[in-house]
Amino acid sequence: MRRISSRNAITAIFAIAVLSLVSACSSSIKDTSATGKITADTTGTVRVLMEGVPDTDVVKGLLAEFNKEYPKVDVMIEPIAYDQIRDKIVASFQASDPTYDLAIIDNPWMGDFARAGFLKPLDDLISATSGYDYEDFAAPLRAIGEVDGKVYGVPFYNYGLGLIYRSDLITTEPITLDELAATAKKLNSSARAGIAMQPQTGYKAFEEWGNYLFAAGGSIYGGDGKVHLNTLEAKKALNTYIAMYKSSAPKNSLNWAFDEALRSVSSGKSAMMVSYNWMLPTLNKVGGVSGDLAGKFKLATMPGGKQVLGSWDWAIPANSKVSDAAWAFISWITSKAGEAKRVSAGGAPARIGVLSDPAVSSTGGGADYYATVTKILANAEPLCRGSNCDEMITAVGTELNAAVAGLKSVDKALASAEEQANKIQTP
Amino acid sequence: MSFRLRMMGPLIMIFLAAIGYPLLSSFALSLTNYKITQRNATKFVGLAQYKDVLQDRSYWSSLTVTLIFIITAVILELAIGLAIAMALQNQKRFRNFTRSFLLTPMFVTPIAVGLMFRFLLNDQLGVIPALLNKIGINYDFFGPSRAIYSIVAIDVWQWTPFMVLLLLAGLESLSKQPFEAARVDGASPFYTFRRVTLPMLAPILTVAVLIRSLDASKVFEYVYAITRGGPGTQTQTIQYFTYKTGIQFYRLGQASAMSYLLLLIVISIVVVLFHRIEKVRAME
Repeated sequence: MRRISSRNAITAIFAIAVLSLVSACSSSIKDTSATGKITADTTGTVRVLMEGVPDTDVVKGLLAEFNKEYPKVDVMIEPIAYDQIRDKIVASFQASDPTYDLAIIDNPWMGDFARAGFLKPLDDLISATSGYDYEDFAAPLRAIGEVDGKVYGVPFYNYGLGLIYRSDLITTEPITLDELAATAKKLNSSARAGIAMQPQTGYKAFEEWGNYLFAAGGSIYGGDGKVHLNTLEAKKALNTYIAMYKSSAPKNSLNWAFDEALRSVSSGKSAMMVSYNWMLPTLNKVGGVSGDLAGKFKLATMPGGKQVLGSWDWAIPANSKVSDAAWAFISWITSKAGEAKRVSAGGAPARIGVLSDPAVSSTGGGADYYATVTKILANAEPLCRGSNCDEMITAVGTELNAAVAGLKSVDKALASAEEQANKIQTP
Repeated sequence: MSFRLRMMGPLIMIFLAAIGYPLLSSFALSLTNYKITQRNATKFVGLAQYKDVLQDRSYWSSLTVTLIFIITAVILELAIGLAIAMALQNQKRFRNFTRSFLLTPMFVTPIAVGLMFRFLLNDQLGVIPALLNKIGINYDFFGPSRAIYSIVAIDVWQWTPFMVLLLLAGLESLSKQPFEAARVDGASPFYTFRRVTLPMLAPILTVAVLIRSLDASKVFEYVYAITRGGPGTQTQTIQYFTYKTGIQFYRLGQASAMSYLLLLIVISIVVVLFHRIEKVRAME
């Protein structure tokens, strides 16, 4: 008995020694309050996994300016392909020693991650940050980061969709779904398709068709909070979508997604597409992807005025050991001044205030573009709210694609989509 | 413990650690409703996951897609592989060069092959659609009822060399005497192939088909890189469906049950097949 006690004592001493050593090694990390009162001498290394896209490059380009205000916070950005982000951050969320101290969250993941306890609520941090003006973020974007009455994500940039069209071919923007279909059909020729569509099974099909649904006067959720896709509006939207695919989209484009549609429009082989609003400056950039067509593209809201919205949000993992340093960075990059710098450098906006800032609107897409983005962000809705969004979106998108492919009737596809979506989202 | 058992000890331990533990762990998982985003609500549900999977139409439809893929791909690989192997057997010059060149596709990782064909068959960028267009053919490689056969064609391109490798080794190991006897008796080449080559090669053919079928049942990369299961669910193979359930939708418990059911089906087929082979061999 005495011998066992001695062993325990030695083990305890050893453990204390190891813990002391570990804490000494990590003394460079200072995480004092996590209340939002972040001082300029906040210290820590913030590791963040981000998608390898231009918006990430913009953020990287601003790190030197951030370090002028917070010289002791080292932000290490790891760019990676979209497909790998979620698996890596989920693994990090569950580790006792996380790989990432700050995360960017795609909107379909927000509900699951927040309810799983993976993310830290940010309400206290937001309210303790003076002059932050959280309400300035577009309301639909704010709603994505709010789960069960708490804020888990601060908008990073928007993925609002809109209609991108060739202004030299289209003089009057279509304002109804029928007008959109008629315009696409009229512009369709052997040399150029009327519209480049993205009916690829899963996310893409639902993301694009969702805009048609809104344009037909429909909605994804009913007043009872359930998914309602087996409706007259949804049927009209899907019938129009299929008719447009058959009459006005490029041949053999059933498997097309974002890249293919962009390539088709930028090369002049399609006259318009439904895509992310921030593609407009890219398409109009002189010497960019569109070649001689640069400057000929315009952005409009979807017919009916409402569109599908996506977003990336900044969030702090619940297991982050440097949440003060992480919030120092989030609050700096998403502050009014930080957002103005980011958007001026080519980033997609999330705050409404910045869109009317003359210093910002004189850059990038120009005042007209930012005015349309303001309208897009004012009337937009994500494809899914709540839990199991990835699964719900995939299930609906698979049914829509099957209908476009002619493997299912419109009625059967929508009935099945509604049934599956409600089953998936039932707790 | 006998010397023989002691010598086997390290192998058994490695086997238990590397294969036994993951198998047992995933089996335990399949008896729970484990979901990555709801870990606190995990509970033991016994065989309920298995029952759910068996009642899931998507599981059976994915299994059917996989079966169509395996049968089509393996038959084509076997036929083309055997033809190439027989041609190579008679080759006199540049034998090593031809054989090395033919084996190249096998050494490319399947995800890279998937991405390569995604672009090669792409209507906007691909060389193949462009060449077909020049001769007036417009073919949608990933259209309804076609995408699965495009995936099969990609598999045939990559894995026929494996068949060639196995069958060539088999052909070269066959005794020459029966062939000489057939030639002396005036048998035609086709008769020799049907009555001498095929029966003598049967054990190798069986093993080749078995290995390729098991390997083809794991098809995932081409689907992931190119079609994502579409159009609709026409290319949704069982591995892609399991991946979606477990990794994309977080339901690891259910995905484990799916994998175990697949394992059970595959083992049953293999056991029946081996039993029949043994029976035929015993009769001979």
